[in-house]
Amino acid sequence: MNLLLFVPYVLKQVTRHGVRSALTVAGIAVAMFLFTAVQAMNTGVTIATTESANDTTLVVYRADRFCPATSQLPQDYQRRIEGVDGVVSATPIKIVVSNCRTSLDVVTFRGVPKDAFLDEHGENLTLVAGSYDDWRSRTDAALLGETLASRRGLRPGMIFDAAGITAYVAGVVRSSDAQDQNVAYTALEFVQLAGRDQLGIVTQFNVKVREASMLERVSADIDALFDTAQEPTATFSEKAFIGRVADDIIELVGFARWLGLGCLAAVLALVANSIVLSVQSRVAEHAVLQTLGYPGRLIAGLIMAEGVVLALAGGVLGGAAAFGVARYGNFALSVEGASIPISADAGLLVVGLLVCGVIGILAGLVPAWQASRREIAECFRAV
Amino acid sequence: MTLIECRQLTREYRKGETTIKPLDGLDLDVPRADFLALMGPSGSGKTTLLNLIAGIDSPTGGTLRVEGTDIGGLSRHALAAWRSRSVGYVFQLYNLVPVLTAFENVELPLLLHRLSAQERRERVLRSLERVGIGDRADHFPRQLSGGQEQRVAIARAIVTDPAIIVADEPTGDLDKPSAHAVMSLLQELNQELDKTVIMVTHDPKTTAYAKRTLHLDKGRLVERGVDELEEAAP
Repeated sequence: MNLLLFVPYVLKQVTRHGVRSALTVAGIAVAMFLFTAVQAMNTGVTIATTESANDTTLVVYRADRFCPATSQLPQDYQRRIEGVDGVVSATPIKIVVSNCRTSLDVVTFRGVPKDAFLDEHGENLTLVAGSYDDWRSRTDAALLGETLASRRGLRPGMIFDAAGITAYVAGVVRSSDAQDQNVAYTALEFVQLAGRDQLGIVTQFNVKVREASMLERVSADIDALFDTAQEPTATFSEKAFIGRVADDIIELVGFARWLGLGCLAAVLALVANSIVLSVQSRVAEHAVLQTLGYPGRLIAGLIMAEGVVLALAGGVLGGAAAFGVARYGNFALSVEGASIPISADAGLLVVGLLVCGVIGILAGLVPAWQASRREIAECFRAV
Repeated sequence: MTLIECRQLTREYRKGETTIKPLDGLDLDVPRADFLALMGPSGSGKTTLLNLIAGIDSPTGGTLRVEGTDIGGLSRHALAAWRSRSVGYVFQLYNLVPVLTAFENVELPLLLHRLSAQERRERVLRSLERVGIGDRADHFPRQLSGGQEQRVAIARAIVTDPAIIVADEPTGDLDKPSAHAVMSLLQELNQELDKTVIMVTHDPKTTAYAKRTLHLDKGRLVERGVDELEEAAP
């Protein structure tokens, strides 16, 4: 028996019961939108906070401070940090954010020494628009991460205002590092002086270490170096630092996993409800199919296939909508200058669809089994 | 030549404490190309006998052989395969799948057979033409009259070219002209294609189309009443 011959039958059952199918698919789509969005946030947290064996960056912050406004370190710590064994370079960074609260649309300025920054960090960046020369030559020039530029609709040559700073867009860069994607890099002095008169004061140092295995030892050495200083330091690996400052968001996103599971339960309930109602209203129809010689397990398969089609249709709609919003909305959860991307990729969509397929099968399992075991004569007597 | 052979055929149901016996040790031989009408009061066992012959119910006693096969001893799966080859069922209420067109309804039994799309199409169209409804192939059941729906159901019953057509009150839901047309069609299938037709009916007039009429009462065959003979006269 060629089972593909029955695919049109299944599709007709779904499409020609238009209202019922549309309502079910709409419900599934909403639930899958939420599920995919939650998963996108989870993926973002994983990307932003999971350390890899290749990570060689430390962040030196002011001890016992948790936000850019209060973390103030003397810029001349740079020279002393670079003297620590294993340190390749230390980049002083002044961070100013447009919004102290957690938000999807925060503009984060990172003031950096331009030439040193490009020398040490340039290999991680791909210039997608504008020019580095332009950035170097203008005091007020900003190099925007692609996510920020795209979200704000900014292109090279434009002027924009945020956090009381007026900057000129010199270029747009792409990076595999989530933190680069959502910031505006400017000259260190420009941010220090922009209305705050904090020349010589920086928020943090990003320290490049020779080998990943040295991170722990170097961070301890740096903190020991400033232990008795007026401005003591707390040094973390970059990913651990993100995890620390974005702790609240990560906790919320972790809780949102339950929301995602709730969405899956909703999908299961919706599909199961639809299939049960469909099977109950088609007792005679299934009995007719059995009379025509359709074996019970084929009827069970047809019922489960309807569930899978409904679930996949809803999954495609909801998943694609969430994927589109996450991917092209260029959202990132920003807190205290750290950025957690809402990251959707094709893999996430595929996982969502696989989950939908499994749910479709599960939802149809019991009604399909019941329908396949019914006595034909009993069905006709009952109708 | 005997096509269907029932020996001491019995069917019992349990309903709570009570045992109901709609068929009670029935003996019956149906030759090939017979057109048999089954009559009797409600609960006499007509439909039960029809369902047993059609293989959609199983006997609890006795034997039922069709073309030499003891269908009472077949597994569910084997019985389904046997039904798809050997029996066409015509229901009183047509029982077409409402979301499928006439063509698609008639095609349903063929999906179980190894046929190309072209062969299926030809067979479906031939069956629809045979029952005089070829021009309604793309109509949905809701767009057809009762008589037309029953014709589609008959086309569905004959599309696999089964030896036996069973019909459970095929005119029970039809007006007189439609009933006449449906009965004439069953008669043609019997006479021209040598199909064995077994029909349950409450209407004595429809028995005039059959070659013979048997009466059931309390699960057994009984002699035919004179009043019914008169009613059956065309």
